[in-house]
Amino acid sequence: MIKFYAHKTLQTADGKLPLDVSFSVEKGQFITIYGNSGAGKTTILRILAGLTDTEKSLIEVEGECWNNTDKKIILPIQKRSVGFVFQDYALFPNLTVRENLEFALQKGNDKNIVNELLELMELQSLQNSKPQHLSGGQKQRVALARAIVRKPKILLLDEPLSALDDEMRFKLQDYILKAHQQYQLTTILVSHHLPEIFKLSTHVILLDKGKILKEGTPSFVFSEEKISSKFKLTGEIIAIEKSDVIYIVSVLSGSNIIKVIATEDEIMELKVGVKVLVASKAFNPMIQKIS
Amino acid sequence: MNILSGNITSIQGSESLSLVKIAVESNTFTAIIIDTPESEAYFKIGNTVKVYFKETEVIIAKNEPLNISIQNKILCKIDSMKQGEILSELHLSFGEFNIKSLITTNACKTLNLKNGDAVLALIKTNEVSLSPND
Repeated sequence: MIKFYAHKTLQTADGKLPLDVSFSVEKGQFITIYGNSGAGKTTILRILAGLTDTEKSLIEVEGECWNNTDKKIILPIQKRSVGFVFQDYALFPNLTVRENLEFALQKGNDKNIVNELLELMELQSLQNSKPQHLSGGQKQRVALARAIVRKPKILLLDEPLSALDDEMRFKLQDYILKAHQQYQLTTILVSHHLPEIFKLSTHVILLDKGKILKEGTPSFVFSEEKISSKFKLTGEIIAIEKSDVIYIVSVLSGSNIIKVIATEDEIMELKVGVKVLVASKAFNPMIQKIS
Repeated sequence: MNILSGNITSIQGSESLSLVKIAVESNTFTAIIIDTPESEAYFKIGNTVKVYFKETEVIIAKNEPLNISIQNKILCKIDSMKQGEILSELHLSFGEFNIKSLITTNACKTLNLKNGDAVLALIKTNEVSLSPND
């Protein structure tokens, strides 16, 4: 269980903005913080990691006090059990993949975890390569493995996949999920990518101008209608074509383009670029094994 | 999307499946959904819910059909029609509710549908979705 409260005045392009946020996270949850640029998402992760100070904060992680500004307690960064992955990989260029992982080990850590992570992230064949010879996706897998080496209580992911193309992004999401489950991590992700949020997170915090607007399951936070349909996707409209008396709406969801029929009335509210929920009943879709 | 509002009058459950009856004015809608009163708080007898079904799932019949498996049969009046080359959009009403049906223009012609006609709107149980009324 993580209890988080922080108050901090942010300096933004539009002037001063008070960040005032309070939330709690159950152990093993996968939380996404979603919001516009400058809402304070990264600041929350940095406060948790001990990289940013606050005017007032109270952070408790599994019964251990990390921040209590009233009692002037600020646990030093190195004593906080966190793994952090950023958009840039920040690997040591002169060390091999294996050495990058080993470097992150602390005294008393089980060294077997390096082998275990190399296997989990499918990095065995690359373990002796230097980062410069790796692709973006491979580097990010190393960064992820390195963040987990110490089996942190909290894994913080700050838009770790936004520099990757869609295909690589999907693969990395699977690695993140695998690691989250295998090591029973409590993970906090900052992401803008709706399909990613739906795929990974159990809980979403919607942040706007330093305040929490809404929180709950992804479908609660992002769908206006709590419809009973079980075949649901979210995506963005990429085309609307009139055909006969109806309209064919193309929606990009993840890397798939799906098409939905809409009536003229429905089209009034829709245009290219709008984010939508597409729902059908579980009874309708056909399912076939693919080879 | 057709959206109506009604009250849940009965819920018949079998494991994760529920067969729900919803009173919409004097009509009863039946929906089969993968939810139970345990899994969804709004899903209780007496609660007001929204009833959803897509225009393309509304079948039109002119005379009361006999021995048909479709559970939802709503007697409607045709208020207007928008005929395209392939598809036609029918604007129907019953009581204070309006629904739409998208059927082929061929079907429209075969049934010789005209404004003011009384027709049955037929919707399969597994095409009806629900959501809490907020």
